[in-house]
Amino acid sequence: MLADWWQYDFLRYTLFSGILIGLICPILGTFLIVRRLSMMADGLSHVTLSGVAAGMLLSKKIAFFGAVNPLFFGMLFSVVGSLFIERLRKVYKAYQDLAIPIILSAGLGLFTVLVSIADGFNTDLYSYLFGKIVTVSREDLYALIGVGAVVLGTVFFLYKELFAVSFDEEHARVSGVARKTINLWFMVLVALTIAASMRIVGVLLISAMITIPVAASLQIAGSFRQAILYATIFAEISVLSGLYFAYLLDWASGGTIVLMAVLVLMVVLASKKTGAWIRRMREENRA
Amino acid sequence: MKESVVRLSSLSFQYEDGKKILDHINFNMEKGDFVGLVGPNGSGKSTLMKLILGLLPPKEGTVELFGTPVQKFRDWTKIGYVAQQAAHGTGGFPATVKEVVASGLVGKVGLFRRLKREHYEKVAEVVKRVGLGEKLNDRIGKLSGGQLQRVFIARALVADPELLILDEPTVGVDQESIEQFYGLLRSLKEENELTMMIVSHDVGVMTQWVNKVACLQRGLHFHGTADEFAHNQDKILQSMYGDAIRVLAHHH
Ligand SMILES: Nc1ncnc2c1ncn2[C@@H]1O[C@H](COP(=O)(O)OP(=O)(O)OP(=O)(O)O)[C@@H](O)[C@H]1O
Ligand SMILES: [Mg+2]
Repeated sequence: MLADWWQYDFLRYTLFSGILIGLICPILGTFLIVRRLSMMADGLSHVTLSGVAAGMLLSKKIAFFGAVNPLFFGMLFSVVGSLFIERLRKVYKAYQDLAIPIILSAGLGLFTVLVSIADGFNTDLYSYLFGKIVTVSREDLYALIGVGAVVLGTVFFLYKELFAVSFDEEHARVSGVARKTINLWFMVLVALTIAASMRIVGVLLISAMITIPVAASLQIAGSFRQAILYATIFAEISVLSGLYFAYLLDWASGGTIVLMAVLVLMVVLASKKTGAWIRRMREENRA
Repeated sequence: MKESVVRLSSLSFQYEDGKKILDHINFNMEKGDFVGLVGPNGSGKSTLMKLILGLLPPKEGTVELFGTPVQKFRDWTKIGYVAQQAAHGTGGFPATVKEVVASGLVGKVGLFRRLKREHYEKVAEVVKRVGLGEKLNDRIGKLSGGQLQRVFIARALVADPELLILDEPTVGVDQESIEQFYGLLRSLKEENELTMMIVSHDVGVMTQWVNKVACLQRGLHFHGTADEFAHNQDKILQSMYGDAIRVLAHHH
């Protein structure tokens, strides 16, 4: 059973992709969540979906686009969407999260229109929505490796800037941080990550990978670094166990991974509660 | 003449809604000045500080920092800032005192560089100076309001600024710590000729420590040394706040 993962190319691609997703999604997610932009991923994933649909439509109508992976259209749309969100965030300064439902609805609207124009797709759209192991190609993996390298490089070299901007934008600006550039770059990375992770987790569930492991980690983290570290550990646990069961039971990979993430969250919450309870009991016994 | 650190020339400002908040302010801070900014709620003190920091664009007139127009000023590491209610809404952020104070070094360390041991040593030293040495590795959510306020004071001090802009930094800080805080500012001023501007509604305490006072209410009502202010305090405050405040001022 486990040996299958080395024998078949698509399983190896899936495994590597999963490990990468489990690394970059929660890292970006930690920054997003502390900035109260956790819904951002949801908004962008729907835009990405419309990009994928546009790519499929083009390849159906124009032979030239037949060879282009719809993933790249997803990336393009997602990046443009992230730029729009940044723009809208400025227009609605006091209601920054309002930008997200606007973009989300626009993405979904565009998606349904494109699907109706195309009169349905023969390609398996389902796999883009919910993630499917057998559909991961070498090209998908390479795209993810590229995005992953850029994300990790950015977080390594711009960690203190990202922290400063996330913690206190105004103060970061007074400290001479190129706040606008950092914000923009960060949003572009989120957009690319969502598009690149789509094959495994699926568009509709990708925001879960970005938020749930972080939600668990925030419960126990004693510092920002720990918040990132625990979030990646929880995400990796969810991805690896999720992929394993998805393959074993022939379930949708995205859904299984997300369920695992929810399970991890519940375990963390429960053990935190029991921990506090035990401590209280001990103190009462002492008294 | 000493080096000019902040120079405001006929500076006016209004927000989008159009009401004039600041009206032709002329004001100069020289190296080593410690200016207390006084004025009733809504008189434009925070607005003035944001203009000095380049967070708001002047509508009319100019702001110069260290002789450079604020729009062209790039040397932000020379400036430390504690915003009014800086701590507001940050309690849930999963960061330690050390991480927050270290974020004050972001401009000084420079792009693409990572914080090193010596930076963290500096952070620990400053945190100790504001009396939070024990709390260095605690999550900020565990601190009291006054302790949290001191974290933000430490963040403003950690990069060894030459100009400190403090907007009600001592709100919620207890009496004894306020004395300590002013004492710290005074020793920093003596050590490195720090230039400072502070807003505080506790006029009685503040004017004992500053050497200049500026009173703001759209325009500058008074601008002079702390001694001159002390001699005319009643008259100045009355003209600014009206009769109500005179009673309060007498209590000091
Ligand atoms: N973002 C804003 N948009 C519109 N008007 C504003 C804005 N910020 C402040 N104001 C107005 O500008 C005026 C000056 O505000 P400012 O915050 O500078 O006062 P302040 O002197 O710092 O008051 P306080 O002592 O309460 O801190 C007030 O009348 C306020 O209503
Ligand atoms: Mg104010």
